[in-house]
Amino acid sequence: MLEVKNVKKSFGGLEVLKGVDLTVRRGDVVAILGPSGSGKTTLLRCVNFLETADEGTLVFDAEEFQLAHTARRDIARLRKKTAFVFQAYNLFLNKTALQNVTEGLITARKMPRAQAEELGRRALEKVGLSDRRDYYPGQLSGGQQQRVAIARAIAAEPEIIYFDEPTSALDPELTGEVLAVMRRLAEDGMTMLVVTHELGFARTVSSHTAFMEGGVVVESGPSREVFGHPRQERTRAFLQTDGG
Amino acid sequence: MDERLLGILLDSFPKILLPGLAVTIPLTVLAFSLAMAIAVAAALAQFARVPVLTQLCRFYIWVFRGTPLLVQLFVVFFGLPRVGVTIEPFPAAVLVFSLNEGAYCAEIVRAALEAVPAGQLEAGYCAGMSYLQTMRRIILPQAMRTAFPSLSNSLIAMVKDTSLASNITVTEMFTATRTIVAATWEPLALYIEVGLIYLLFSTVLTWLQGVGERRLSAYQGQGG
Repeated sequence: MLEVKNVKKSFGGLEVLKGVDLTVRRGDVVAILGPSGSGKTTLLRCVNFLETADEGTLVFDAEEFQLAHTARRDIARLRKKTAFVFQAYNLFLNKTALQNVTEGLITARKMPRAQAEELGRRALEKVGLSDRRDYYPGQLSGGQQQRVAIARAIAAEPEIIYFDEPTSALDPELTGEVLAVMRRLAEDGMTMLVVTHELGFARTVSSHTAFMEGGVVVESGPSREVFGHPRQERTRAFLQTDGG
Repeated sequence: MDERLLGILLDSFPKILLPGLAVTIPLTVLAFSLAMAIAVAAALAQFARVPVLTQLCRFYIWVFRGTPLLVQLFVVFFGLPRVGVTIEPFPAAVLVFSLNEGAYCAEIVRAALEAVPAGQLEAGYCAGMSYLQTMRRIILPQAMRTAFPSLSNSLIAMVKDTSLASNITVTEMFTATRTIVAATWEPLALYIEVGLIYLLFSTVLTWLQGVGERRLSAYQGQGG
């Protein structure tokens, strides 16, 4: 359902993505691993047009887009089929947990308020935060904020959710609650593309894993194979040193 | 205090307060409302880096922050009639005060917009919202919260600055006081009296600022 080909992106003189290919099929949970600076976050941001790639194509639902020149209208249309979970949560600070979930539904998708709130309540229930629905982000812990962000993502019933290092800003004891929610989403069959440092999550939850380094995908395949029998020396070294 | 002076003070109090309620406050409310509209528009244009408009805003702010308020009042009221533009004292005062205040407040609002974390706009985009929707629903409300104390400050300053309108024959509080001083020759007592009325107005506004800040700060709870 999603395929990117030959994505290239430079910042100033620095080439961050040097021609990346990636495929995600419906129901896949694809983890992108790699050391800091390998370009994995930039790749995710390019796929959702938060950064404009210099080159490359995106095929989404059999529709092809040039990443460097996609009309604003098409970007807006694509974004309504996707959701994005940020490393820094980025909850709307002036909205309660429930309003965070319903805002996009009401404002962007023109859903009647009552219906949006019903969806919002169900989404918050799914992430275990029904009792926090009237709290503002500033009154929630990091883990709770990230779970609200995931509720915001699933309420829109997207075809795919992009996760950008969703647990990297969290204390270790809060990481578990977020990963548990993501694990449940995966079991429900949600299509997910997850940039992460959590090797354990990649190994046990993701169906596919791509290992990136230096702006290219070094190795990718079913997670069982990438973790069990890494073909590339670089992958092997990364999986060993980083623990998991 | 002798009886004559007390009589003058008691007699003058309603004569000063009335133009305060009838002119100073309407002038402030009107001019400040217009100033806010100008400020938000100018701040948004600069924040979005709209070409041409951004340069126009910079020019406008440069001129109105860089010249004295009194000079601006004189140019509009005494100067413009020379080119056939005659404006009545009160509207002239509203025009100048709103343009002058708008320039200062535009900078306050622009700084507050830039203080909103960039991730808020990205989150809006990713929720399917457009730039304008995100600005209206997410960014601007947060910026106005940040800007609120500074804007309140500007409002309080403006209440006092309206006394300058006295110079272009607007019959506000200070004009009324001057008239009474001319008739009674009690400058010390009467100017202190009008000063206390300004202080009363400012005190009410300061109290309102406190109420407003408490209401706006609802979402700024303590996080863990």
